[in-house]
Amino acid sequence: MEIKTVDLTKTYRLGPSEITAVNKVNFEVNEAKLIAIVGPSGSGKSTLLNLVGLNDYPTSGKIFIDDADASLLSSSKRRKIRLFRMGFVFQTFNLLPTLTALENVELPMSLADKPQKEQREKAVRLLETVGLGKRLFHRPKELSMGEMQRVAIARALANEPEIIIADEPTGELDSKTAKEIIALLFDINRKEKTAVIVATHDEKIVDVADTIYTIQDGRLRLES
Amino acid sequence: MNVLFSGQIMVVSKDAIVIQAIPIGGGMLPQNRTERLIQNITGVGKTVPILFVTPIGIGEIIQPVPVNFSMGIPVENWRSILGSIPLKGNIGHFPTNESSHEVVIGASLADQYNWTVGTNITIRGHRLEITGILDTKIGLLNRCIVMPLKLAQVLYTYPDSVNIITIRPLQGLSQEDLADTIEQQVDNVRALTEDERNDMIQPVLAQVETWNIGIQTVIFLMSLILVMTVTIMSVSERRRDFATLDAMGAPLSYVFRVVIFETSLIGVLGGILGIVFGSLAALVLASLYTNIPLAMFFPTFYEIIPPFYMLEIFLAVVFVCCLGGIIPAINATRMRIAEVLRAEY
Repeated sequence: MEIKTVDLTKTYRLGPSEITAVNKVNFEVNEAKLIAIVGPSGSGKSTLLNLVGLNDYPTSGKIFIDDADASLLSSSKRRKIRLFRMGFVFQTFNLLPTLTALENVELPMSLADKPQKEQREKAVRLLETVGLGKRLFHRPKELSMGEMQRVAIARALANEPEIIIADEPTGELDSKTAKEIIALLFDINRKEKTAVIVATHDEKIVDVADTIYTIQDGRLRLES
Repeated sequence: MNVLFSGQIMVVSKDAIVIQAIPIGGGMLPQNRTERLIQNITGVGKTVPILFVTPIGIGEIIQPVPVNFSMGIPVENWRSILGSIPLKGNIGHFPTNESSHEVVIGASLADQYNWTVGTNITIRGHRLEITGILDTKIGLLNRCIVMPLKLAQVLYTYPDSVNIITIRPLQGLSQEDLADTIEQQVDNVRALTEDERNDMIQPVLAQVETWNIGIQTVIFLMSLILVMTVTIMSVSERRRDFATLDAMGAPLSYVFRVVIFETSLIGVLGGILGIVFGSLAALVLASLYTNIPLAMFFPTFYEIIPPFYMLEIFLAVVFVCCLGGIIPAINATRMRIAEVLRAEY
């Protein structure tokens, strides 16, 4: 999957003033790399990921998905791309509280109309991969923060996406657990050949990332 | 429509208040004089004077809604008023002479007070013997004590007075023509034909129907607003969940169905609980207002609240809940992760 942004800009109106969260960003993902976007809170990381993940619309500029202009895609097409080709990991995990770990991982497959048996087998396998083979039937409130983020990562992998978009995946975790989650994302990137874009201010990710961008006041800059 | 006095003209005092075939108030008729004047009119067949009294006032029980009645009928005219109604189990007999203290009673009264054939009861200081229990589904007669006319007149201190005289026209004569003649020739009476009696109940039924529709509309709107408000709150509390579904690429129809499924489930549960508790509440209220023991309503539960009505109510509740879920469901499909997260941080 190839994602390219051209002069991507997103502005918000906050009372009388206008805030430019993302300012003329040119950015490209065309390989299964681990990309880190580093910046302080409020620098525009999450906004950029929401735009790249087709969860939001830019104020100006373009996003191209495999050379197709995303602004011309219908809402349904954008959903399909999110469902089948992208996986999302959020800072606050965003697991559905009434579902068990297993059901949370099955959910994207269910939305993709995969057979029930395949959903169950794959969800079990994914949860075993992230080290939660014994926590299948626990609900989110019965899991630790680290475990919840593992479930979220397993859920993001459910439909075998070409890219995982992780917004501050270690933001809520202690340093030991954060290290484990980073290792897990690194493993996924290397073994599954899945591109991973991580927005973070965690230095540990910087150590393993293939490409590092910094973002400040909405402006993106390639560091290495 | 006429349960009682079918095919007969009903003569009442001019100022009597009549609901269908039941005089619920107003003046009385001097029995002998009125009956004699009526019988002199050409075309008048059999006449039957009746004293209809409500309530009967058993013991010290207070009855906010009159549900017990007494009817005094001349013993030789039982059949012309009660038709072919038999006595329960064919046990006992109708009172045999006008001066006897024998009465027959409705089955509901008998069940309520555990009265059987042979039981002696006291009403207004008079000792009466029950000689039969009416085997009928007519609600009025089920709650009635039927006694000889003379006894009723003594018991309720209406000497030589009745409040109804029923008249069967001779063959070939219309009820309308005979009723007109009676009203012209007998002072201070109204002669009501079967059609007129039905017409009298129509405005009452129409008013009941109007109230019914009004109450149903108010309940419908209140339920709709309530379900909508509760669901909007529920969706709003879970906006992050719906936004997550959206971010994961869930089709709009899926999110919509989730909300509608939830509200219809509320409808199913609410419908079942509502029917159970609503029916019980209705029976308890009926029991309180009529002093009829609650247990007596249960054997006829499905006649009071027919299963078809229950099904109708159940479906209406589910429909209202589904309808109330539409706007919240549309709201749920509009939850976007970017906006939700932006609002949270």
